[in-house]
Amino acid sequence: MTMSNERVPTALVRQLVKDLKRRGVDYADVRFERILHESLIVENGQVKPISLFETAGVGIRVLIRGSWGFASTPHLTPSFLRRAATQAIDIAKSSSSINRKVVRLAPVEPVKATWRSSWQIDPFEVPLSKKLDYLLWAEATVRGPKPIKRVTAHMDFTKSTKCFASTEGAAIEQRAIESGAGLEVVAQQGEEVQVRSYPNSHHGALAQAGFEYVKQLDLVGGAKTIQREVLQLLRTTPPRAGQTTLILDPTQMVMQLHESCGHPTELDRALGQELSYAGGSFLTPERLGTLRYGSPLITIVADATAPGGAGTFGYDDEGVPAQRTELVREGVFVGYLSSRESAARLGLRHSSGAMRADGWDVPPLVRMTNVNLEPGEATLEDLLHDVKRGYLLSTNKSWSIDDQRLNFQFTTEIGWEIVNGKLGAVVNNPLYTGITPQFWQRCTGLSDRNTWRLWGVPNCAKGEPVQLMHVGHGAPYARFDGVTVAPAR
Amino acid sequence: MIGHARLLEELGKLVARSPADATSVCADAERLRVSRFAHETIHQDLVQESLSVTIKVIVNRRVGIAVTDTLEYASLHRGLRAALEIARHAPPTTLLAPLPGPYQHITLQDYDPATAEMPAQHFVNVLKRLLQICQGVGATLAGSFTVSEAELAVANSNGVACYAASTAAAAKLVTMYRKLSGYASGVEPHINHLDVEALLERALKLCLHRHDPLTLPTGTYEVILEPEAVAELVTWLGYIAFGAKSFQERTSCLSGRMGEALLARSITISDDGNDPAGLRQPFDYEGVAKQRVALIDRGVATGIVYDTTYGHLYGQPSTGHAQPPDQPDGPLPLHLFLEPGTTRREELIRSCRRGLLIPRFHYVSGLLNTREALMTGLTREGTWLIEDGKLRHPVTTMRFTQSFLEAFGHVLGVSKERRLIADPAQDAGCAVMPTVRLAKFRFTGRSA
Repeated sequence: MTMSNERVPTALVRQLVKDLKRRGVDYADVRFERILHESLIVENGQVKPISLFETAGVGIRVLIRGSWGFASTPHLTPSFLRRAATQAIDIAKSSSSINRKVVRLAPVEPVKATWRSSWQIDPFEVPLSKKLDYLLWAEATVRGPKPIKRVTAHMDFTKSTKCFASTEGAAIEQRAIESGAGLEVVAQQGEEVQVRSYPNSHHGALAQAGFEYVKQLDLVGGAKTIQREVLQLLRTTPPRAGQTTLILDPTQMVMQLHESCGHPTELDRALGQELSYAGGSFLTPERLGTLRYGSPLITIVADATAPGGAGTFGYDDEGVPAQRTELVREGVFVGYLSSRESAARLGLRHSSGAMRADGWDVPPLVRMTNVNLEPGEATLEDLLHDVKRGYLLSTNKSWSIDDQRLNFQFTTEIGWEIVNGKLGAVVNNPLYTGITPQFWQRCTGLSDRNTWRLWGVPNCAKGEPVQLMHVGHGAPYARFDGVTVAPAR
Repeated sequence: MIGHARLLEELGKLVARSPADATSVCADAERLRVSRFAHETIHQDLVQESLSVTIKVIVNRRVGIAVTDTLEYASLHRGLRAALEIARHAPPTTLLAPLPGPYQHITLQDYDPATAEMPAQHFVNVLKRLLQICQGVGATLAGSFTVSEAELAVANSNGVACYAASTAAAAKLVTMYRKLSGYASGVEPHINHLDVEALLERALKLCLHRHDPLTLPTGTYEVILEPEAVAELVTWLGYIAFGAKSFQERTSCLSGRMGEALLARSITISDDGNDPAGLRQPFDYEGVAKQRVALIDRGVATGIVYDTTYGHLYGQPSTGHAQPPDQPDGPLPLHLFLEPGTTRREELIRSCRRGLLIPRFHYVSGLLNTREALMTGLTREGTWLIEDGKLRHPVTTMRFTQSFLEAFGHVLGVSKERRLIADPAQDAGCAVMPTVRLAKFRFTGRSA
């Protein structure tokens, strides 16, 4: 189901760029974006109100005397566009009266291009009744046992169309479809409350794909597993406090990568531009190329070209082509997520193509794309084999990290004891904590490509006003020695 | 500004045109001006205009919702058609509350034209002054200025037609001097009441020292939490405990404990969207007038907030705490007030023999164990060790892992002064909080 046609006002965007050029800006780009989002939720046998959200408009970014101005409008008429352009110009001029540092942009070849993400089945063409029937079936499969208080099944679909043009001559059109689905169950007995999600928590089963992705997730198949596990969690005990060996599965590695590698490698943050909100980064420019971030096993890439990733695109919101950039190579910090401005400030030859806006009404910021941990060569059995005592943890429940991205603490929905190389009893309320480089330096094993899995994060918050970006993280199972574990009590 | 006449007229026309059994339309418009600066440069400066029109229809007990982003006839009509189409395909809802009404209300009591129409140059001039002061003392400055103009209108087929407009001006300042940093934030409905230089003075006080920060051992400390830090924790509690949805699912620490003393007697928490000390919002997204709800009364759990759906489930009237109809979290309290005490803030510090003064927390999460209201988070700029009633040493970053119930069960003092805390660039709502002195707060980690 759609609310409008999918026409892209290419001529209007190009005309606006011409007008801005005539008005004497040093640089400008214009970005039209239309986003259609459908959200379906079934909870305890009831279909929650179904929502369809559509937004479209134009964002105008101008650079005058080395200072930025940005304004936007949903009204695609010449008078409103002129007004927004004037606002952006006025803002840039007033900022330039105070700015000591002049913005310079790393070069990019302006391209005329179109790009489309890959999908087989357009989820907006799938009948609503079919999608709801599937959710009702999966949700009902989890319900039944008395301690289960709530079961939620959800699907989310997004279709976006973008048209970008710049005074340098870029003219780019992009279309993408994203699909996601999942289940969450809450159970309670006495004072114990437990939650279990499938296939990932926080709406993390998300991919740039069509409805075929939802079918592959097999919600009904996973429903029985989380029903059994949430009941086990009510009856079991937390892990013992102390230092031990941890194996994190790919669902938890998502948040580990996101918080302790993705955010600190954002170059705008490292240059101090997030100090008033999210903080800074311990990965300061003088450490580039020298800091030992992790063990030699660790190679982390920002890959905007990864097929199906929630952070995949053809060109970023400055018209820079999607790239695969090494952030950490064999344990050494070697790269940043960057923009044209931040790359130029650091003397880099080019932007890593990480400028993204969450809509037409905000300017792009340096954001994660798909920040992925490269796999190793072990099987999960190999990783378990050498562990005398430890835990395997799965599925993020909570996350927190300090303003330099050093001290982190996570809890997960579930864990299993590891005893003499074998998985044992389920543990509830597991918590682990550490300091980013110390933790990654203690990585002693990674599983292979067969176990590597790409997940999504649909709510990565950054900036003022806050922008919620969809990013991706791929990871294998990873083993870490000497990690502080405690019960979340 | 769109204005009440146009908003209510367009919403009313849409409701009148709808063939559904019942129709509710909510328009949420905002104009934000945000300037962010660091290292003597404005690195982001923008104006953002947004409008979200949420159309909810009920047809044969089936509900459909569509959201669009302009008031143009074609767009609203497409939205209405989409909502009707969704309702046609949706299964019937068993727990269906009738739409509220009738209720008519128009207010511009918190709308200040001077704030809304602030010229682009205003904050540049303010920033110039602040930078001069910082340069004079050898400090550097980062932060942001925000001005917001918000309009909320709701109309439904049951006689609701209400509108409220408001403005807010806010500043966040991080000051840096040698190895120390300080922080202060402020927000006011009227820009002329926002004393940015006083904020700068507060932030500078925390960092203009020649000490190197001290790394303290982990363990349990007495703490004095400034209003921003208290607001972080109480806002999380509001999210995980005071809404009818978490109460019903029994994930709330109040479930099964209503009427029990959960916190110290000096702690009284309420939600009040009409208190002029906060950023007022007189009605919710369903068009129900906001009620003051006593959530914790002298330490005792006394209430939760409802919308019409959860009110229907519990046989209670809505308290006016509905979120937009496409939001899944259920009713939430977004105007939280902690009652002031009788002690001056300075006295709370003077009477502390050994403890930590914490201006704000960073990255708090309340999802660890919601039943116990277990939270974690970190200290950030301007945290000091207090000894014998005096600020002795700045302190490096520390992580706490602490049950709210346990911490606020042992309160040594609550200040008579309170501050309004809100961030109009990030979230709706506000908190009005005092400084609170707590006997025991558990620090489980540190960054250095």
